[in-house]
Amino acid sequence: MSAFIIETKHLTKKFGSKRVVNHIDLQVKKGEIYGFLGPNGAGKTTTIRMLLGLARPTKGSIHIFGKDIKKEKLSILKKVGSLVEYPSYYGHLTAYENLEAVRILLDAPKSRIDEVLSIVRLTKDAKRPVKGFSLGMKQRLGIATALLGNPELLILDEPTNGLDPSGIIEMRELIKSMPKEHGITIVISSHLLSEIDQMATQVGIISKGQMIFQDSISKLRERSTSKIKLTVNHAEAAWKTLLSHGYTTQRMQNNIFVENSSNEKIAEIVKALVQHDYSIYRVEEEKKSLEDIFLELTGQEGGL
Amino acid sequence: MRKLFQSEFLKLRKSAIWLLIFVSPILSLLLGLGAGTMTDLGEQQWIETLGMMTISHAILFLPLLTGVFSSFICRYEHVGGGWKQLLTMPVSRKNVYIVKVLIVSFLIGLTQLLFVSGLFLIGWLKGFSTDLPWEVIATSVLGGWIACLPLIALQMFVSIAWSSFAAPLAVNVIFTIPNMLIVNSEKFGPYYPWAQPFLLMMPSTGESFGALNVSATTLIIVVFGSLILFLGSGLGYFIRKEI
Repeated sequence: MSAFIIETKHLTKKFGSKRVVNHIDLQVKKGEIYGFLGPNGAGKTTTIRMLLGLARPTKGSIHIFGKDIKKEKLSILKKVGSLVEYPSYYGHLTAYENLEAVRILLDAPKSRIDEVLSIVRLTKDAKRPVKGFSLGMKQRLGIATALLGNPELLILDEPTNGLDPSGIIEMRELIKSMPKEHGITIVISSHLLSEIDQMATQVGIISKGQMIFQDSISKLRERSTSKIKLTVNHAEAAWKTLLSHGYTTQRMQNNIFVENSSNEKIAEIVKALVQHDYSIYRVEEEKKSLEDIFLELTGQEGGL
Repeated sequence: MRKLFQSEFLKLRKSAIWLLIFVSPILSLLLGLGAGTMTDLGEQQWIETLGMMTISHAILFLPLLTGVFSSFICRYEHVGGGWKQLLTMPVSRKNVYIVKVLIVSFLIGLTQLLFVSGLFLIGWLKGFSTDLPWEVIATSVLGGWIACLPLIALQMFVSIAWSSFAAPLAVNVIFTIPNMLIVNSEKFGPYYPWAQPFLLMMPSTGESFGALNVSATTLIIVVFGSLILFLGSGLGYFIRKEI
């Protein structure tokens, strides 16, 4: 029994000769909201399909709840709720009947249907055929279906796709509340860093099939080192002056950048500049945003 | 397994598919009613009528219905992404497949029951005087149903493999049309899956079985052989299929 709810080792999936997922070691601890992040086509959905037993790994192993998915797939799936890509539904049935069709398979109590309907606020529309639902409503029905069996692990692939802003906020609050209230572990994939940033406690970043970062979100934030930007009247001369005082800085146009420096050092630099009669227009801190780090890691400039 | 049946029936209940089980029996009923006016039925009145009704029902409708039902029972899974949802439930793929095949078999079975009720209705309306040839009728109806099983297995395979609703149906129609000729061929008839419902359903009067004097044993072996082949390959495909 390992400490992880999900643990994959060298998980690999080949389509033809292309490795869509390449040696991924996913590690998700109990009670975490694990943000699975990557640009479109990085292999997120393929990984998730393998986690759910919909696709077969070419190589590597998957353990969920400490059980091997190859051997104990059904007992694992009983405790997993999922929503993969777009929501699944039977258009000719009502929302209630859709949930009933799944409830029978999960052996959940009938009362659970009303509970999940109220969680996703579809109680009013429960008796309407799903084919008339908007994408947002179908998405919410998909979440309701995923919650139906009181899962211990929830795997949501791009759950905010197609939702309007208020729907996204609602979904986010719902997802954030679940680990606290029910002790559910959540894996949520997205290509939007901002979304993961607002929910996740752990992050895994995948690019071109490879895991390039996996740690807590605070570790990722630590990478967002700050720089101090000084705007002065004669940047080049000022830069030389600072160099002669023994301060290495970078100069770009009228700005001088000082990296990773203590308050004292900044004070000394400013003092030196003032003493040499430079006019200092601005002293600002420039933080590298998570977005920048993400792009840096995935090596895709403006690709999103 | 029981849970899968319940869930599957819930999905079916609200659809129009039920109406299709009536089409062929009603048509056969009309044909059967007309039968007596054309020829004198004589001693074999039950069997003659049954034979008359069987022609369109078994040559055309039974093979077509196996395709329609199979396509239909897969359609709602293809359309709304149902496979994905169904297969992330704690159910084995083998059972999912078998339940789907059994439900189509059940629908075909209901069609057969309606068909035979039609025959009884005709007999009652026309006041047939001879005794009911129970054995012949039961063999015919049951034989027709059994002969549909390999077809169902085959059609289920095609319907699962192709997400389109029309494509499996088109293939089925293409293979059903030549039936008219093939049932008359002694060489190919017994081995052509689409011809088997007719060959097993057509009542006989003499020693031989079926319209072509092919022995019942041969037919049964062919039917069960192909059933095992089609069911096995379809099941193997479905278990490996990546959703």
